[in-house]
Amino acid sequence: MSEKVDGITVIGWLRSEEILMLEEGFSVQDDLFLAGLDSMAVMQLVVAAEERFGVQLQAVDLTKENLGTAESLAALIDEHRA
Amino acid sequence: MIRDVDVAVIGGGSAGLAAAVMASRQGARVMLLERQGFLGGMGTASLVHTFCGLYLLSSAPDAEMANPGFPSEMAGRMIAATGLGPIRMGRLDVLPQHPADFVRIADELVKAESSLTVQWHTEVVGVRKNEGRWEIDWSCRGSLGKTLSTVIVDASGDAVTAPWIGAAHEVAPRLQRPAYVFGIQGVRSFPDERRLQLAGMLVEGIRAGVLSKAALGLSFRPSGRPGELFGTLDLAGEESGSIYDPLDPVGLSALEAEGRRVASGVVACLREMDPEWRAAFVSQWPARAGIRESRRWVGRVCLTGAQIEAGSRFEDEIALATWPMELRENTRGPKWRFPVEDRPTGIPLDCLRIPDHDDFFVAGRCISVDHEAQASIRVMGTCFSTGQAAGLAAAMKAGGGEPTASSMRRIAGS
Repeated sequence: MSEKVDGITVIGWLRSEEILMLEEGFSVQDDLFLAGLDSMAVMQLVVAAEERFGVQLQAVDLTKENLGTAESLAALIDEHRA
Repeated sequence: MIRDVDVAVIGGGSAGLAAAVMASRQGARVMLLERQGFLGGMGTASLVHTFCGLYLLSSAPDAEMANPGFPSEMAGRMIAATGLGPIRMGRLDVLPQHPADFVRIADELVKAESSLTVQWHTEVVGVRKNEGRWEIDWSCRGSLGKTLSTVIVDASGDAVTAPWIGAAHEVAPRLQRPAYVFGIQGVRSFPDERRLQLAGMLVEGIRAGVLSKAALGLSFRPSGRPGELFGTLDLAGEESGSIYDPLDPVGLSALEAEGRRVASGVVACLREMDPEWRAAFVSQWPARAGIRESRRWVGRVCLTGAQIEAGSRFEDEIALATWPMELRENTRGPKWRFPVEDRPTGIPLDCLRIPDHDDFFVAGRCISVDHEAQASIRVMGTCFSTGQAAGLAAAMKAGGGEPTASSMRRIAGS
């Protein structure tokens, strides 16, 4: 299996896919919901994650805990790749 | 049938309503021409259910009104009707509004003005200048009629009269995409944390081939009434294979059909997937899709996106624009551009005036601004303000005076 996905990678990916406009210095533990993650952005995220990381996130995966930070999102993606 | 008035207002959306009411209050004889059977435009016919742009951008806990007069009055009436105050969405304060309340409030506002006549079911089909006065041709179900007026306010949203009077106008090459809003009832509960799972279910529906990818542009919001939600779908407008053109009947027709098809599909899909949605149904279609941007006037001055970003202020400003530039050039959610230090921007009176005609004012989303600035000034809260200003200016002009921004600000603030 390919390399572990980390929070930094996720931040760069969210920016490049224009899913979220994260400010300079946004950290892997900062709140993605406060940064504008809403249900529509979550849909874009799930579709983009499938294309970029080859993971199929399910509805049950989409909780505030799993999506709250770049770090937790990276862990979720990693878990699905394993 | 020929009617003779001081001021004719074309279009009864948020800007046209404000213009007609404020011109009447100055004593002008006003006729408001509206194509639907009710007023409110985007906020009623297109079911857009928040007033944006009413409040100053600020980190202060309490929302502060940006513009006095009609916008404040409208906000007060809406709060009284819904029982809901402004809510904070990220960095922005918005006022939830219900289209059914908006229709009734607009009825009450126009009924209170004895010098204001509203003509519904009326589509304006031509405008020309004849011996110093405006002649407006309109059609109502096969009846053709004419209104004569001293001054015109174009609050049509699409600058519909610009081509007829040979005035400069433009359409951006890449327009803001339209929103298709519909009502839903029968959802047993809609807790906030459920939104994320619903989003996941829609993606699963797309993966399974049950839903089209257009469903990715969808979000839900409670209407404030028991058991009622609104679904808002951002469409590309190019689903039929043609280039998005909100001034073309073929493209508009495809847009309406596509909005209903996607919305029906989503509700049917969620009925299957979520027990809380088992009895859900589409309870209301909009009279028309919500067009964010189309034809714009090229007026005496043009407010730019750079000026909004800088929070520019002007001697002859007649209102403040406070909504950040909300760019929706695709269906993947808004891209925001905020002004430095959350500053408001002044809208100059000359954005509401066009070259060559002192007796013509424009209001609403099609005033003279560039494509980026339009992404700020198009919202209903700001349209109430530009409508108010256009109405006051029109009444002054029709009364033989020369409208000045300072006198208009004084009247609006009193």
